[in-house]
Amino acid sequence: MQKYWTVFRVNWQNALQYRGPTLISILGNLMHISVLLYLWNAIYKDEQRLGNYSLSDLITYYVLQLLINGMVLSYISWQIGTEIREGSFSNFLVRPINYLHYWFTINLSGKLFEGLLISVVGLIMVGLLIDHIALPSDAVTMVHFALAMMLAGILAFEFDFAIGILAFWLVQIDSFKYMLQYGMFFLAGALLPLDLFPALFQQIAHALPFRFMVYFPIQIFLGKETQPYEGFAIASIWIIALYVVLRFGLKRGIARYEAVGK
Amino acid sequence: MDKEPQPLQLRKQLKQGQDMAAIEVTHLNKTFKTHKKEAGLKGSFKGFFHRETLYKKAVKSVSFSLEEGELVGFLGPNGAGKTTLLKMLSGILYPTSGKAQVLGFTPWERNPGYQRQFSIVMGQKNQLWWDLPPSESFLLNRDIYGVNHKTFRHTLDEMIELLDLKELLDIPVRQLSLGQRMKCELVASLLHQPRVLFLDEPTIGLDVISQEKIRSFIKTYNQEKKTTVLLTSHYMQDVEQLCKRVLVINHGGIVYDGSLSSLSNRYIDHKVIKIRFAETQSATAPPNIKGIVEWDKHHAVLKIQKKEVAQVTHKLLGDFRIEDLSVEKVEVEEVIRRIFEESPKAELNTQGEDKPHKWIKKPGETP
Amino acid sequence: MQNTLWRYFALYRSFFSHNLKNEMIYRANFAINIGLDVFFTMVNVIFFAILYGNIETVGGWTFHQTLIIVGSVGIIRELAYLTFRKGFLELGEYVRTGRFDVMLTAPMNTAAHLAFRHVSLTESLGEGLMGLVLVGYGFAHLDAATWISIPFYCLMLINSLVIYYGFCLMVSSLVFWLIKSQELNTMIYYFMNTARYPRDIYHGLGKTFFTFLIPSSLIATTPAAILTGRIDATLIALSVSVAFVFLTLGLFTWTKSLNHYSSASS
Repeated sequence: MQKYWTVFRVNWQNALQYRGPTLISILGNLMHISVLLYLWNAIYKDEQRLGNYSLSDLITYYVLQLLINGMVLSYISWQIGTEIREGSFSNFLVRPINYLHYWFTINLSGKLFEGLLISVVGLIMVGLLIDHIALPSDAVTMVHFALAMMLAGILAFEFDFAIGILAFWLVQIDSFKYMLQYGMFFLAGALLPLDLFPALFQQIAHALPFRFMVYFPIQIFLGKETQPYEGFAIASIWIIALYVVLRFGLKRGIARYEAVGK
Repeated sequence: MDKEPQPLQLRKQLKQGQDMAAIEVTHLNKTFKTHKKEAGLKGSFKGFFHRETLYKKAVKSVSFSLEEGELVGFLGPNGAGKTTLLKMLSGILYPTSGKAQVLGFTPWERNPGYQRQFSIVMGQKNQLWWDLPPSESFLLNRDIYGVNHKTFRHTLDEMIELLDLKELLDIPVRQLSLGQRMKCELVASLLHQPRVLFLDEPTIGLDVISQEKIRSFIKTYNQEKKTTVLLTSHYMQDVEQLCKRVLVINHGGIVYDGSLSSLSNRYIDHKVIKIRFAETQSATAPPNIKGIVEWDKHHAVLKIQKKEVAQVTHKLLGDFRIEDLSVEKVEVEEVIRRIFEESPKAELNTQGEDKPHKWIKKPGETP
Repeated sequence: MQNTLWRYFALYRSFFSHNLKNEMIYRANFAINIGLDVFFTMVNVIFFAILYGNIETVGGWTFHQTLIIVGSVGIIRELAYLTFRKGFLELGEYVRTGRFDVMLTAPMNTAAHLAFRHVSLTESLGEGLMGLVLVGYGFAHLDAATWISIPFYCLMLINSLVIYYGFCLMVSSLVFWLIKSQELNTMIYYFMNTARYPRDIYHGLGKTFFTFLIPSSLIATTPAAILTGRIDATLIALSVSVAFVFLTLGLFTWTKSLNHYSSASS
């Protein structure tokens, strides 16, 4: 356990080194969200309505999306792909550290760090938009939300890790990875709430596990998902199943990596 | 090549150039900034909000001048400031203070008129297009430097001949060996026939044969074209074979400027005498012989003050039956090592702390 | 002046052919890039399709009109790759490794050198072509389409390209302090992404912000406005002025920032 704690700390130090870039990436994100807020505002001003969302629901949806993007969604597959492709992955083969757990730690530490920063930004936004934020009224909802966020974080990591280790089999995955990631986020409800989709799309998105990464926690927060226990159960099953698959996949990948010899 | 008519502008500058030095550097300084990184997570947190700036004087009040056509070597350990100086003279780095004139231009103004007349080759960086054959990079440089097609063809042919490159021209750069790549880098840098050439570690990482080739090329080129060359190298042989004059730089300042031969005269006050005795001696040296480094029954090595060499040799020849005696001068490499060892430690740190920090807290005055 | 212009045109041609030869070596990338571009454009179209499935107009723009805005962004992106964009993407790596040195010693304008060094036809070709398709599709479905607006549309596209360039220069100047350009490029990417929404959604502070500080609201809306028959002299004058100011400021910042370059060894 000690070694993972060290990895965690070192990664924080690393993140703190780059304060300029960190700020800029938050600003960029903030910009995108602000534009979307203006978009919803313009739509509601024309007395139009999106599904069963009120304006405050939508604003809350995107402020939470900002938070989730910082705290939950994982972007480590890029580095994993590079490590495998360029051969620095070999360093892990000779070390007594589990690659999956190692990256889980890195991701966790990174997301907590970014989450902390994004929370500050989020709080300022909530302060500015307080009249338009739909805050949950009871503590149970908050507990449900926190639990959903945790599951979302683990699930997002697992999917991202899976994309990363595709590099064992595919030489050039960068473009492919973008596609998978973006498609995944779209089906997670990061761009638009899933219940605004046409019926067929909704059914597809509902059957897939990606909705647990963005849409599901936000629905809980907005009080549109009062009985989330079924969702928790399904998400947990996915997490366990993916964990087994990833362990197996990593094993196969390493075997392949050694066979190719880099 | 000399038959090619020079453009009018260039001819004018050449004429002006006759009565002034090709390179004139006065009190040039360059200080780099960095941020202090405290150890540990706590330090990182502090650094996120506030960080201390540290300064390093890479070049300290350097002055020197070079005549047109000279081939001068820059000597100094890693991080002494050689490359920083070359980069300032190329206009890559902006100096903290001081003046420099190369061919009458201030380099960091990056005047195209200057850029067309010099070149810098760095052994560790490459400007060739990685996936294309070198000939493509040459063509591009021809266009960037505005070399006319006839002159280009002529210069290129000449250099292909000199460096024996014919077979390499159409092979992608990534498939070339390090030595072959260096040759191509040189060609790419010389296509516009620069009047001043800066070479930063041109032979680094090369095998002995490639080193030798590059060296002889530089020598021939300098002699034939009268190009002013300023060269830095790790390899003593580069400097010994190419440069009559050397500038020794340490901790950002020039500590010696002069000929290579007088360098050893100035810094080394002794010579080494090696003896092989004709008959077996006692294992211990007689007490009246000084400067003994080694002594056994058959051999001896003595380190003797220069002015006493004649007297000691005479005495030795009188006292012993000697089969072979040689007086050896000290290797240049040894001389250089001495200079660097002798330079005062205080120069590392103007704050006068006793830890040899490279980075200091305040830019301060130059000594 | 004319000579310089001619020289840079010739240089562009030279660099373009070199880059094309380079891209031909990696033909597989070309196919992947096209596929990627088609995918992303389609996701954007789906986003608006879903949105417009629930509502009629956004800031007064119908679905087909919005497609013209989205398509224009694609066209401008491709035009940018044909001129300057990829150089900025690579800039961080150039500065970090010290390979930027070459750009400072060659007798050629540094900004032009960086831009030309990586002009790319294929990098964003898919997006450009998809953009053309979207603009064409949107245009065909307009009630009041006039052919005469097309040349003016093209002129405003070029004006938007200038705004984009000025913005890139300003943001990328920070590389010489940060040494990392990934986040700066993310910023520029967001800038172009926010250009996909009609300018009319903004009001008050937001409008000022996205006009003068981050002028993304002008990028695609101005040309699209012309094509959709909303010719508005004020908007055009505003776009042209912003382009002028951003280019001037961008070149100034860039030139000043070069002195801050600390060339890395090895």
